[in-house]
Amino acid sequence: MWRNVAFRLALGYGALAIGSMSLISAVFYVGTVGVLARSIDAKLLSVSDRLARHYESRGGDELGQEIRQLLADGIDQDTEVYLLVAPDGRDIAGNIAGWQKPKAPLDQLTDAKVIRNGRPSLSRLLPRLLPDGSVLVVGRDMQDQREIEQLVWHALLGGGAVALLLAIGGALLFRRQLERRVGAIRRTAHEIGAGDLSRRIPTSGVEDEFARLNSDINHMLDRIEQLMGGVRHVSNAIAHDLRTPLARIRSRLEEALGPGKSSTQLVATAQFTIQQVDDLIQMLEKLLQIAEAESGAQRQSFAPVGLASVMTGAVELYDAAAEADDITLLSDVIGRPITFGDSQLLTNAVMNLIDNALKYAGSGATVRVRATEETDTVSLFVEDDGPGIPQDERSHVIDRFYRLDRSRSRPGNGLGLSIVSAIATLHRGQLNLSDAAPGLIARIVLPRCDPVELTRGETAPVAAPA
Amino acid sequence: MRCLVIEDEEDTARYVCNGLREAGHTVTLVRDGVNGLHLATNEHWDVIILDRMLPGGVDGLSIVSTIRTLGKTTPVLILSALASLDERVRGLRNGGDDYLTKPFAFSELLARLEALLRRSAMQEDVRELLIADLRLDLRTRRVERAGKPIALQPREFRLLEYLVRNKGQVVTRTMLLESVWDYYFDPQTNVIDVQISRLRQKIDRGFSPPLLHTVRGIGYKISADD
Repeated sequence: MWRNVAFRLALGYGALAIGSMSLISAVFYVGTVGVLARSIDAKLLSVSDRLARHYESRGGDELGQEIRQLLADGIDQDTEVYLLVAPDGRDIAGNIAGWQKPKAPLDQLTDAKVIRNGRPSLSRLLPRLLPDGSVLVVGRDMQDQREIEQLVWHALLGGGAVALLLAIGGALLFRRQLERRVGAIRRTAHEIGAGDLSRRIPTSGVEDEFARLNSDINHMLDRIEQLMGGVRHVSNAIAHDLRTPLARIRSRLEEALGPGKSSTQLVATAQFTIQQVDDLIQMLEKLLQIAEAESGAQRQSFAPVGLASVMTGAVELYDAAAEADDITLLSDVIGRPITFGDSQLLTNAVMNLIDNALKYAGSGATVRVRATEETDTVSLFVEDDGPGIPQDERSHVIDRFYRLDRSRSRPGNGLGLSIVSAIATLHRGQLNLSDAAPGLIARIVLPRCDPVELTRGETAPVAAPA
Repeated sequence: MRCLVIEDEEDTARYVCNGLREAGHTVTLVRDGVNGLHLATNEHWDVIILDRMLPGGVDGLSIVSTIRTLGKTTPVLILSALASLDERVRGLRNGGDDYLTKPFAFSELLARLEALLRRSAMQEDVRELLIADLRLDLRTRRVERAGKPIALQPREFRLLEYLVRNKGQVVTRTMLLESVWDYYFDPQTNVIDVQISRLRQKIDRGFSPPLLHTVRGIGYKISADD
C-alpha cells in the first residue's frame, strides 16, 4: 500500500486535514468550555468576597442567616453550594456534607467530590478562612458543566473519527482513480514491450492532464512506429536491391570460370563486375548520406548560405547535360534568399532535383530553377514540363527505393528524392511536390535567415560554392 | 617516387603497395601508428599515404598534424572509410593534402598522388599555360588555339586550366568535381562527361591534333601526343 503514490498522497492529505481540524477544535474548545469555566471561577470569587464583607460588618450569626437565605431564595438552586463551618468543625449552615478541610492552603479554587443535598456531586469550591477561625465555602456544582464538556469532547472525537475515515476512504478512491488512468498507460507500455507496436493508450473524452499525457505518448508511439516501418521497409528494399546485381555478378563470374574463355572475355567480365560493384557502392553511399542527414549531426557546421549561389553552382554543372539533351535549363533569383545550412548538402539536394527533372522531362523540355525569398521562408524550385508524377504517387516517391518506373529499366536507385527530403528536414525545412500541369514542381522550403541579423554578427560570410 | 604507406589493413595495404610498385615507385609499408610517425618524421618521402584509424595509439590525423607542426611540407593523402563531409574537412584541416574514401579505385589513388606531386613541384606564378598550339592567358582569362580565340564560360575556363596544369596526367571525375566545382560529394551521374565533351567540342573541333582524351574507366587527360 505504501508503494502506491496515490495512496500516500491521499493519506498525507487526509492527515493534513485532520491536523488542521484538531487545531480548529482546540481553539473552539478553549473558546467555549474554557471561557465558561473562567466565568464560573470569577463569579465564585465575587460571591465569596461579598459574604466575607457581610461577615465583617454583621458577624458570624448573620452570615449563617444570609447563607440559609441564599439557599432558600430559589436562584441557582441546582448548582449553588454554600457551607459555613465553625472553628470547632461544626457545620453552621450550608447544603453540602462530607467536605474535608484540605491540607493545602485555603483561599484556592479546588475541585472536590462532596455530598450535596444528599447526592454526590462534583463541585468547584472556594474555601475561605474567616478571622474567627470559621471557614466559608462557596462553590458550584460542576456536574452540568462537566456534562457539557464531555459532550463537546465527544462531538470533537466523533468528528475526528469520521474525518479520518473519510480521509482513508478518499485515499482509496483517489488511488483507484489514479490507478485506472496510470494502469491504462502501463498496460499499453507492457503490450508494446511485448512486441505489439500498434497498441495505443485509450483516450477518454475528458480533457485533463492525463488525457494530454496520453495523447503525447500516443503521438510519440505513432512516430516510432512510422520510423520502425521505414527501417523495415528499407531493410527489405536493400536486401532486394542487393540481390539483383549480386545475382548478375555471380552468374557472370561463374560463366567466366567455364572452359575455353579468352582473355578478352575475362577482361570484359572483370570490367562488368567492377561496374556492378561500383553501382552497389554508390547505393550504399547514398544510404549513408541519408542516414547522416537524418542523424542531424551536420547541423553543427551550419553557416549562412546564399541560395542563389547554390543554385548557380548546380545549374553550371548541369548546363552541358541539359544542352546535350536539348533541354532548356533556366535559372532565376527572386529577392535575396539566405538560409542557415550547409552549401554542399543544399547543392546536392538541388542537383538531385535537376537530375530528376532532366531525366524524366525528356528531350525538348524546359526546366526552370528558381531561388526565392518569402516572408519567413526561402525556397528552391525545380519545375519541369514533363509528364509529372500522378497525385497518388507523390507522397511515395520520397520513400527510399520507391520508383515510378516499376520495371526498373531506367538507371537509378530510387534514393534521389529521399536524399533531398532528408537534407530539407536536416535544414528544418521540407520537400514539397506539386503539379505544374503539365510537369512537376519540386520545392525545397527552408527557414529564412535574416540578412540584417547577419550583418550585425562578426563573421557572417555568405558561403558561396565555387 | 618514394612513397610511405601507413596502413594496417592487409588487403588495402597489398593493393596500394603492389599498384604503386607496378607504376614504378618505391614503397615502404608500415602497419601501425607509432612506427609510421617515426618514419614519417625521420626520413624523406615524396608522398605519404596513410589510413586514419591505426593500431598502436597514434592515429592518422595525429601523424599528419605532427608532420605539419614540425614544418614538413611532404604531400599527405589520407585514406579512410570515414566518408562524411565532416570527416573529410577534419582530415584536410589537420594538414592532409587530399582525402580519399574507401573503397576506391587504384587509378583514382594514383591520379591523385601524381596531382599532389605536381602541385608541390610547381608553386611559381605563371601568367599563361600552353599545350601544343592551345594558349590560356590566366590574367585575361582568354583562350586561343592556333591563334583563333575560343569563347569559354568561366567554369569551362577553370576546367581547362585544371586539365592543362595537369597535362599529360590522368585526372578523374571526382578530382574535377572537387577542384573545379568545389563539390565534395558524388552526383553519380554523367554530368562531368557531358561537360568534358562540350569543352572538347570547343577546343578540339576543327583543330589537329586532338588534345582532350578520355582514359577509359579512369578519367581524362590533356596531352599533345596521343
